[in-house]
Amino acid sequence: METIYQLLHVTFANVPAWTVQVAAFLIPIAFIFGVYPAIFALTTLVERKALGRIQNRYGPNRVGIFGVLQPLADGLKILLKEDIVPRVADKFTHFLAPVLIVVPGLLVYLVVPVAPGMVAVDLKIGVLFALAVGTMSAIALFMAGWASRNKFSLLGAVRAVAQVVSYEVPTVMAGVAVIMAAGTLSTLTIVQRQGGGILNISNWYVFRPWGLVGFVLFVIGGLAESARCPFDLPEAESELIGGYHTEYSGFKFALFQMGEYLAGMAMAGVTVTLFLGGYMGPGSGPGLVGSLIAMLWFFSKLAGMIMLNIWIRGTWPRLRVDQLMGFAWKVLLPLALVNIVAVGFWHFLTPRPLAWVVTTGWLVIWFLVLTKCNASAILEKREYRYV
Amino acid sequence: MNIAFWIISAVAVLGAVLAVTLRNLVHCVLALILFFIGIAAHYFLLRADFLGTVQILIYVGAVAVLILFAIMLTHNVTGVDGPKELLGVKWWSGAAIAATLAILLKKAILSDPLATLLPAGDKAQSSVAEIGKALVAGWVVSLEAIAILLTAALIGAVVIALEEIQKS
Repeated sequence: METIYQLLHVTFANVPAWTVQVAAFLIPIAFIFGVYPAIFALTTLVERKALGRIQNRYGPNRVGIFGVLQPLADGLKILLKEDIVPRVADKFTHFLAPVLIVVPGLLVYLVVPVAPGMVAVDLKIGVLFALAVGTMSAIALFMAGWASRNKFSLLGAVRAVAQVVSYEVPTVMAGVAVIMAAGTLSTLTIVQRQGGGILNISNWYVFRPWGLVGFVLFVIGGLAESARCPFDLPEAESELIGGYHTEYSGFKFALFQMGEYLAGMAMAGVTVTLFLGGYMGPGSGPGLVGSLIAMLWFFSKLAGMIMLNIWIRGTWPRLRVDQLMGFAWKVLLPLALVNIVAVGFWHFLTPRPLAWVVTTGWLVIWFLVLTKCNASAILEKREYRYV
Repeated sequence: MNIAFWIISAVAVLGAVLAVTLRNLVHCVLALILFFIGIAAHYFLLRADFLGTVQILIYVGAVAVLILFAIMLTHNVTGVDGPKELLGVKWWSGAAIAATLAILLKKAILSDPLATLLPAGDKAQSSVAEIGKALVAGWVVSLEAIAILLTAALIGAVVIALEEIQKS
């Protein structure tokens, strides 16, 4: 915001100062409210198309060319639907939940930089802010499930809250590794630290042994926190009808979908920022052209992460509750703690090759130990053949 | 003192009052969350960004969720069927104790040199580095003691859970 303020201040020197200030506030807000919901609308279409391809069918192809206007049609349809509130529902909480569910997702975008200097608020503690705000969605989910006075809703809410609280721990711990390596909590500085090297690529944290482990942990934690497949137990259709949003219809239901997607995309954005070099890539740098290329890089990476989520959703089965909890506490959390020690090795061992060998060895040994300890939880390989 | 201070304070006080007056326990917790967020906003206003974020992470993200979880898993504790009289003897005695405590606390706080200290103002410095240095330099013994306490609590929780698994 300060950058935009200065830019506007220099460009429009003769307009009153307060207009510049208001504009500097409004531009990032308009960007966040305009761009990310638009990406959400596109994602619904891309997801349905991609899932169709995975399942050997076409997906939506009736509205517009190749079905590109499908999100518009969906939005219109959902606006026209009747809004039904159960008679026994807790009216105020029932109304408030879908409103609150959208907020955490949008707040996270405040600290995700999309180009050099282009971040809505350059908080000194940006990473912590993103992680803290992301956990607030659990309360909205709980409100939705509890206020509906429906056993399926409540079960879904219990699952959602337990899941978010459990996966918050390894996700934050995976983030700690990056914070330690970068020596800062500011998202903008973390991205800057990942620049340079070969083609602006080789310094991305994902290309470090601890970074790769952290990246995998963070992606898994992000999927779980936004209740995406294979962690979509809170809304498991075959068991709970719709989970916490069973009793919602019309636009309130759409808000739940939107909140879930926005949160998922926000986690993808934070993953890109922390591990995939944010806006860094060949050609990105200061200046207009460099900024545009940087923005292109950021949104390409975001799209890549969204595609990864869709791919996972299309191909992986849902976990059971005990598998979900066991996975978080027995595999992800120990691995995240081990990863923090690995960053310590990386930081203090001076010749780089030695650091590579020691860190990789340390992580591989612990991975094998954890696999051995959890041997009883690993399922036998099964084969399904179409005869 | 500015407008933001009064708006945030009004919201926080509203949340606190609702948290103790509402009949439904779940509504009380939701009001309590409003209060926590108000306090976090105050920290942000005082340029204590780290403290504000940690307030959200710990109190809203963990403590409030834990309370909600406990309410959800306990049978019939919504409190709607509880005693209806609000301004009884208990209420007045409670109010008297609270008022006495508030007066004593105000005296104690105002006699401390910290009370006259002004906020860091517009020098939006990050407090994280300072807190980190203080923790590992001056207060390392306390830090380690807390770490051991928390580890003991964690192991204790696992032991309790193991006993229940073995029983069933």
